[in-house]
Amino acid sequence: MSDKQHHAEHSHEEHLREKHLMLDPLPRGKMNEMVMEAMLAKPTWKWWLVFSILAAIVAYGLFYKWGILIMKGQGEAGVMRPDYWGIFLVNTVFWIGISHAGTFISAILRVFKAEFRRPFTRAAELMTTFGLVQAGFSVFMHMGRVWLAYWLFPYPNQRMMWPNLHSPLTWDLLAITTYLLSSTMYLFLPLIPDLAMARDRSTGWRKNFYKILALGFRGTEGEWTHLRHAMNIFAFAIIPVMFSVHTIVSWDFAAATRPGWNSTIFGPYFVIGALHSGMGAAIAVLAVIRGTMKNMSYFIRGEHFDAVGKLMLIISMGWAYFFFNDYMVQWYGGDKWTQQLLHFHEAGPMGWMWFAMLVCNIVVPWAILWNPKWRATPWLVATVGLIINVGMWFERYIIIPVSVTINRMPFTWKLYKPGIEVPMSIGTVALFILLYMIASKLIPLIPVWEVQEGQMAHEFKKFGRETVVTVSELE
Amino acid sequence: MAEKVDLLAVFPDLEPAANAVERLRALGVHDDRMNVISGVPVTEAMLGRAPQWTNVPRIAMGGAILGFGVGVFLAYIAPFLYPYPIQVSTQGFVPGPPTAVVLFEMTMLGMLLSTFLGVFLESFFPNYRPMKYLPEISDGKIVVFFECAYAEENKITDALKKLGAESVRPAEAQPL
Repeated sequence: MSDKQHHAEHSHEEHLREKHLMLDPLPRGKMNEMVMEAMLAKPTWKWWLVFSILAAIVAYGLFYKWGILIMKGQGEAGVMRPDYWGIFLVNTVFWIGISHAGTFISAILRVFKAEFRRPFTRAAELMTTFGLVQAGFSVFMHMGRVWLAYWLFPYPNQRMMWPNLHSPLTWDLLAITTYLLSSTMYLFLPLIPDLAMARDRSTGWRKNFYKILALGFRGTEGEWTHLRHAMNIFAFAIIPVMFSVHTIVSWDFAAATRPGWNSTIFGPYFVIGALHSGMGAAIAVLAVIRGTMKNMSYFIRGEHFDAVGKLMLIISMGWAYFFFNDYMVQWYGGDKWTQQLLHFHEAGPMGWMWFAMLVCNIVVPWAILWNPKWRATPWLVATVGLIINVGMWFERYIIIPVSVTINRMPFTWKLYKPGIEVPMSIGTVALFILLYMIASKLIPLIPVWEVQEGQMAHEFKKFGRETVVTVSELE
Repeated sequence: MAEKVDLLAVFPDLEPAANAVERLRALGVHDDRMNVISGVPVTEAMLGRAPQWTNVPRIAMGGAILGFGVGVFLAYIAPFLYPYPIQVSTQGFVPGPPTAVVLFEMTMLGMLLSTFLGVFLESFFPNYRPMKYLPEISDGKIVVFFECAYAEENKITDALKKLGAESVRPAEAQPL
């Protein structure tokens, strides 16, 4: 081989290493150090400023206003005939949607052995748990008399009456509880080895904290075997649970014979919508982690934004397909009230939101994510992700309060105007970000052992004169 | 003086650790007396060890059956416990589709909860007693713990060092 060829090959390998985390291994100790350094870095004044602002918003928007709502009753909110379902349920559906990305990234990509998932599975899994916390809060806000929430649980009250298990609202409770518990367990299991790593490197209260959470994990063959089997079971089993959750949420609407809701395609339409908003939120979280935490540009690279960007593009196309399918059938059906509703969506006072939804969910992602260079630009893809989330929130707003305005009794038609819901909704967003900020200081956001496992599996191999990357199946 | 001694050998990588396992076996250390601890999941096949037994899938299956049972109770039996039975529209008293939803969710919840608990049961978590361990393991070192006859200690130590062990020393339980 000539020097020129050798040099070209070497620079090709170097280029691949720069681009792909899996081809750019560092010693495990170094990676541990980088992750711990990111976690233990002393918060700057900017961090404290953001933290304080968010905490104030949560205290005022979420808890103070919720207290007012509880004391004065649901009249404080804008819900009244015919709009009994308002922003609280919009937020419930929205946050459950956000939670889907965690499972999608962690479970589906794990099952299909997509290697790019490795450094950000935990950040995505956290999104599932934190998103479901907001969804739970939103349901309780909608409930009004939240102290009676336990009436939902399937046990008889003093009159020997059980919750109606034929009702989609009761299925909601079962599905969301199942999903919240299973996603939290699925977050915790792969975290155990990283907590043990943190335990080995900590002192003071942190040492005790990680020691308790690491449960005495050492990394014996038996412990890894049990963990591996459990994670495989979780990865396969949590996927149908994820699909069931949003399908059941869609049945809250589709099972009612209302114009615009009574659609057989609502289940998959809701699931793809959930993935759409979830992936958008996931990419925004990744960009923030990479941009604000130390050493994260080693773990989270352009390739990850590119890969998630491709998924976002495909999911956007899927959402467009289901949206058009649902719209087409309703439009073609010719039902008088459905026609009225469709006209109200497009040309009514909230028409701007309907068009903005299409721009945010279809036009923006298609215009930007087709380009590989743009797709690999973190701030740009994150912005697209946030825009998609605005679009998906609009979509839920149109489906719920805007759609219930139009019913079969025109004398009741009245547009929903939110009241106390607005600061409370902002409070849930603030709490979601706040939980992430706290998590970033308490748990290793990068699953270091999974990254190392992936790096062990990748190597360069020569085929003829070309050097290619091969991946061994170690799991 | 004890006839047996607990030792640990620290290896920088998987290959010498796998060779060490083979060598220890050749030197008369039984597989039951060895344990390999690593910071990444190293499969038994990579180490040339017999497959580890785990009951996690069986426990998961048990939990699924239990969850299914709870689902059957809620879907089939609970409706008969109402003092005033609820008839929803023209649906049967125990209609099929809603029953399927309840059965599915309860089965999955039972399976996943028991899978999680299965890891705890099988790994004896939580365990906060002092244990044989080295913090370097989570830095990527692979440590082979083994028990051998006291008389064999020097011979085995030399053999493992020749195979690339960074150190071979007595293993002592310590607080994690």
